[in-house]
Amino acid sequence: MTDAPGPMAGLRVLELADEKGQFCGKLLGDLGADVVKIEPPGGEACRRIGPFVDDIPHPERSLSFWYYNTSKRGITLNVDTADGRGLFAQLAATADVVLETCCPGYLPSLGLDYASLRERNARLVMCSLTPFGQTGPWRDYLSSDLLHMAAGGEMASSGYDAADLPDAPPIAPGGGNAWHTGCHYAAIAIMAALVHRTVSGQGQYIDASIHEACALTTEAAIASYIYRGEVLRRQTGRHHAAGVTPRTQFRAKDGTYVCALLGGRLTPKFVRELADLLDTYGMAGDLRDPKYQDQAVITENTSHIVDDLVASFIASLPAEEVYHAAQERGFTWGAVRAPEALLDDAHLRDRGFWKQVEHPELGRSVTYPGEAAVYSDSPWRIARRAPLIGEHNAEIFCGELGLSLGALSILAENGVI
Amino acid sequence: MTQPRALDNIRVVDFSWVRAGPWATRWLGAFGAEVIKIEWPESERGRLPSTTTPQHLESNLNTSGNFNDTNVNKKSLSLNVRSARGLEIVKRLIAISDIVIENFSSRVLRNWGLGYEELCRIKPDIVYVSMSGYGHTGRNHHYTTFGPVAQAVSGLTHLSGLPDQPPAGWGWSYMDDTGGLYGVMCALSGLYHRNMTGRGQHIDLSQMVASIPLNGPALLDVTVNGRGSQRAGFPPGNRAHWPGTPLLNNYRGPTVAPHNAYRTHPGGYNDWCVIVCHSDDEWQRLVQVMGTPAWAAAEKFATVAGRLEHQEEMDAQIEAWTITEDKYSLTERCQAAGIRALPVQSAEDRVEHDPQLRERQMYLPLEHPALGCHKVQNAPFRLSQTPASNHRSSPLIGEHTRDIIEGLLGYSHEELRSGFADGTFWPTKRARFPYQEEMLQ
Repeated sequence: MTDAPGPMAGLRVLELADEKGQFCGKLLGDLGADVVKIEPPGGEACRRIGPFVDDIPHPERSLSFWYYNTSKRGITLNVDTADGRGLFAQLAATADVVLETCCPGYLPSLGLDYASLRERNARLVMCSLTPFGQTGPWRDYLSSDLLHMAAGGEMASSGYDAADLPDAPPIAPGGGNAWHTGCHYAAIAIMAALVHRTVSGQGQYIDASIHEACALTTEAAIASYIYRGEVLRRQTGRHHAAGVTPRTQFRAKDGTYVCALLGGRLTPKFVRELADLLDTYGMAGDLRDPKYQDQAVITENTSHIVDDLVASFIASLPAEEVYHAAQERGFTWGAVRAPEALLDDAHLRDRGFWKQVEHPELGRSVTYPGEAAVYSDSPWRIARRAPLIGEHNAEIFCGELGLSLGALSILAENGVI
Repeated sequence: MTQPRALDNIRVVDFSWVRAGPWATRWLGAFGAEVIKIEWPESERGRLPSTTTPQHLESNLNTSGNFNDTNVNKKSLSLNVRSARGLEIVKRLIAISDIVIENFSSRVLRNWGLGYEELCRIKPDIVYVSMSGYGHTGRNHHYTTFGPVAQAVSGLTHLSGLPDQPPAGWGWSYMDDTGGLYGVMCALSGLYHRNMTGRGQHIDLSQMVASIPLNGPALLDVTVNGRGSQRAGFPPGNRAHWPGTPLLNNYRGPTVAPHNAYRTHPGGYNDWCVIVCHSDDEWQRLVQVMGTPAWAAAEKFATVAGRLEHQEEMDAQIEAWTITEDKYSLTERCQAAGIRALPVQSAEDRVEHDPQLRERQMYLPLEHPALGCHKVQNAPFRLSQTPASNHRSSPLIGEHTRDIIEGLLGYSHEELRSGFADGTFWPTKRARFPYQEEMLQ
């Protein structure tokens, strides 16, 4: 089963992408496509992003680059040169997908726009994933992950209660999720175009915008404004809301936190179950008092239940213990974990989530996070580690396009590859 | 001639509820699939409780604004799947469908008698996407999630906040939005695979597990370098690095300064802009735009190392400048000079003030029978041949029951009436909406 091809097997994707699009290429590659990453001679700038293996900076040691470029092959090509353009056009003539994140207008200025590429390959799907799309007053604006989280609305929704941290700024969650969000939508658009192509035989052009993708990704914030005129307030560790809501994040005995959803759920039945949970540890306090079978009494005592009883219960135990004890009793609660805590998670082990990826240069394999979903017929899997700089130049330029090794040397000497 | 759509002739049986599943099927509908939402008012979650019903309307099953935005492009069949007759009907529907999608906890569909093996007997090449909290396998498969819990357990919440403070986390269910997008990817890649091979499959998506790969570089820092994220200066708020803590990459991009949010005029709740300089050149351009103030000429700010070390002083000086100007005019001035700057935007800002989203028609009005005419969020991509679009407002509950039962499945009108009488299509003791009375005429 694990050797079966992935769902996107048989597709050739050319990826001319930087930090904005590399995750989209990874998604397609891990799903089985043959993704050929095209880097400038010397390597793509993302190879200079840390952290690095053993903290030794080197373009072949960037863990960020490693992660975002699994399952790809790699070639170098300078499309600013005439030879480079010609080779790119040759590759595009047999590709299924071109994914590019160049500044709007750049590829057309090289004669590599969709209309030109399509002349030789009507089945080509080309996706331009750019900060703001191909049109509009912000089209040529510069961006970054932080900038997108600001303009997209993520920051306006995330931060702290005034009571917790007066004058706190809006907070942009980390991890590069503006890029992830743009890539998720780009991958969806590409997949839809490919499904359509299985019926129509025709490719098409996709203009995808990271700003729009981020602006779409704040759940009900837009609907709250459109339908009720509300602008939501930031609340520590929980949902934005028009008014202040009961807290959901509690400090555990080990100094980490538990996300315990209570607000709006405190019914007599819920309080009985809560009493059972707390009683397992002898911490139910007065929660078994029959008075709590009256909704009005519960509402009146919300602060006592939440801020005294639940808070004390969680403060008395490690976060992991609260998480599992609560979930086993049907509470939708979770430990707020740092990423390193995931390596010990038994459920992930059961699902075979962690993957060993061979890094022959290191003489060992490295543990990578695996797939979001388990496919029964065509596995989502990491096919190989990220490519070295120009690792597949000979394989692709000579093996596929028919160049001689001599010609390859001349291209290298002239800065084309 | 109507424009072709990417998913023309694809039918989706949509059991999903709350947010993550409906957000997935919204996009299948936008691509032109016929999405049939199976609903039951007694166990409905997504329409109610509603915090987005306009103030002038009664809150009921048909007046949630957020439900409308999340469920455009779908039809609704009200059906009690937990009755023998309802189960038989839904099986007939599955037999003529391409995709079954749901986001229940792990054993629900199987308990209804609709596990993957049974789905295959009904429709051998069905693409079945389950979007549960923890997946259908693994010892914690019975655990349940909401977005915030998936975010907490997966490590995403930990990425957000200021050092030495509790996590700020994500102010919404990011993993309902994003979990929905993984649901779309699973459905589309499964459909592509089916079209190429003739084989369907079960795709077992987990909301919590899908969150973890969003922490990739942080996880490799653990598995390769043995370095965790419970450390001084992490997470560094909006900065790339927190001054006075070890110089380490924080998994957002290059470690540079300035890289922060700054207050702008007139100092309201969302009057902030962010400014980032990726190079000394960009910094020098910022200095010029600020009017070449004397403080900025100091040697300590000339290099990225110096700027990282002296961020507190530098950020205070930059904010003394930004507070004098509106966030949109600051953005324009900075960007015109080649400096990375954008405003923090609230929902109101995005809908009313963002010139780019306006030009790109991100919010277009759509008529809804109970809510009236309101803007709906558009797609963030433009497909040249098969554009995604919002062509239908969200369905009223059970709005298409007659169309589907009689028109699509070929039952008689008498059978529709008897199904309403015996509680198959609507609870017998529950008042019917006027449009339901009409479909019984």
